[in-house]
Amino acid sequence: MQEPQFHKLTPRAIRVWQWGNFIGNLFFFAIPAAYAAVFGLDGFHFWMVVITASIIFILWQLSIFLTPYLSWKNWRYAIDEKEIDLKRGILFKTRTLIPLSRVQHVDTRQGPLLRWYNLSSVTISTAATTHEIPALDSVLANRVRRQISTYARLAEEDV
Amino acid sequence: MSEFQRQHPVAAVSRALDLIRGNFITILVFLFVGAQSETFPFLWWIGGGFAFLLILGVANWWRFLFKVEDDMLHIKSGIFVRKNLYLTKDRIQVIDITSGIIQRMFGLVRLDIQTAGSSSRQAAIDAITRDRAIEINRILRRGTQKSDTPEDEITELAQEPDEILNRFKLPHKELLIAASTSGSFGIALSIIATIFSQVEPLISESEMFEYLFNMLPSQTDTMMIISIILIFIVFAWLISFFSTLFTYGNFSLEVKENEIVVSRGIFEKKRITVPYNRIQAIHVTEGIIRQPLGYASIHLESAGYGDGKGTGSIVLFPLIRQSEILHLLNDLLPDYQKEHEGIRPPKRALRRYLFRSAFFITAATALLYWGMNFNLWIWIFPVLSVYWGWLKYQDAAAAAGDDILVLRSRRLSKSTAYIKKKRIQDATLIQSPFQRMRNLCSIQMYVASGDHGKSFRVKDLEYNDGLKLLNDVRKNGIEFSELVDEQVVNKKVPLPGWG
Repeated sequence: MQEPQFHKLTPRAIRVWQWGNFIGNLFFFAIPAAYAAVFGLDGFHFWMVVITASIIFILWQLSIFLTPYLSWKNWRYAIDEKEIDLKRGILFKTRTLIPLSRVQHVDTRQGPLLRWYNLSSVTISTAATTHEIPALDSVLANRVRRQISTYARLAEEDV
Repeated sequence: MSEFQRQHPVAAVSRALDLIRGNFITILVFLFVGAQSETFPFLWWIGGGFAFLLILGVANWWRFLFKVEDDMLHIKSGIFVRKNLYLTKDRIQVIDITSGIIQRMFGLVRLDIQTAGSSSRQAAIDAITRDRAIEINRILRRGTQKSDTPEDEITELAQEPDEILNRFKLPHKELLIAASTSGSFGIALSIIATIFSQVEPLISESEMFEYLFNMLPSQTDTMMIISIILIFIVFAWLISFFSTLFTYGNFSLEVKENEIVVSRGIFEKKRITVPYNRIQAIHVTEGIIRQPLGYASIHLESAGYGDGKGTGSIVLFPLIRQSEILHLLNDLLPDYQKEHEGIRPPKRALRRYLFRSAFFITAATALLYWGMNFNLWIWIFPVLSVYWGWLKYQDAAAAAGDDILVLRSRRLSKSTAYIKKKRIQDATLIQSPFQRMRNLCSIQMYVASGDHGKSFRVKDLEYNDGLKLLNDVRKNGIEFSELVDEQVVNKKVPLPGWG
């Protein structure tokens, strides 16, 4: 009768997300750029470009320096013999429960950024949904994957 | 049955027709374009097209082989790329026997064997004799039974798995009501719109349209627009009326030892077999027109892909009186515990319901009214939306039984879902910042259904109640430490609450 044991992601996840957002959200500057290309830069249009660009700049900075930290702070996961329990969300707090007997397959994935930091993400698929534990140490991720698949095999049932 | 077999040659034709049906609009456009070109005679286009499709169909037929062997259906298909498909008995979710018009001319059927996931979409045998289909059906089904029943019961069951224990039919009156209140109305409207948008450029060039266009400005008033809209609506209604009539004519629902068999259709006959242990969830939908008339429809979620679009929903009963739903469900699914004490969202959630429903509509109306000088009457929409929000609040409820969850909510139509706890794929509790402020939460349960699963959700429940529901899904019954003492006792409602 106790709360399952929740774990946090590694703090390195913050770095990954920071770089990810740094590069990924750079593309949003294409919006004012395209606007400038179409309408030119005089008078009213100049201010439109300045305003959108500065809004995007602020959001971009936030997505680098604030949100990665917050979402790391809010991420929790727990795995036991019966369920996977995921808690996440900065504004919208979500808590998801996946019965292990429903897990169809688990895989670990690693993009270039994650590989640089020696991290992996674990993806858990059921017959209906797919969930991801985004950034775990590679060794840990493999252990988690093995753990889930072992438990899932024990809990084997039909769809 | 252990030799590879071909389908009946008619498969080639039905395959070609399937291709035509699948690309109907493209073909139509091609024909119109072709009709305008001078270099190629029109008939050549049609003839060549048909010949090509027929050759494709024949090639497909020639290269399609299937056999049943060792409790397994093995299909080889593909003209150039050979595909081998093995379906084991234990994994079969739904067996579906259809006979379209062409198949029926030759006394044939189409056999669809659905397993969970979309890869089984190819596991369809287009044209085989009815006897063989039934034989395959029986062989494959015996397997599913075997895996679930202890050894000593097999012989007993194997002898009479086909015995019909109970049969339900759809009375003519109900069929007519179902057709005239059919929800496929919107779909029909969108079909008309698509056809119109495809055909429109062609008509607009014709002289008649020009003539009409010249006439229009002198008459463009609200009456004109309204009458055009009315004509559209009547057409859409007629289409949906007849399509429902043809789809659900001859409806019957048979209850057998281990499975439910739904058969329906006037021109295209369909016969769907769902084993009991493959039912993922049941949900009852009371449409916005049907509910005041006291009717509802019952659907079943299966992990097969169901009707076309990749959702696993199967219509279990197209139209039924609300007062009879419980009788039917009791006959059909005695192991589902039906009546519960449900929890409703607390009073303080009401304003969230109203706000959510009315906000955008009110904003849009205000914009139209003041910005574009619309008639005063459009304010009826915000009023209706407030009412809609109130209805949604009234209908939202959830309950947990021993092994079952009941979730009731309304979008446009009111839907009551019965989900066995062990069928839940994932249970989620969501709290937005505003909900957190008011200590509310939304819950969402996913079941397997078709390719993507289906979710049922109830919004703005008391946070504690949401946690309890989530807790109920847990198997090992760990209590949440966050569970705060129960301060508020909610009004309890009887679920499902059909008269």
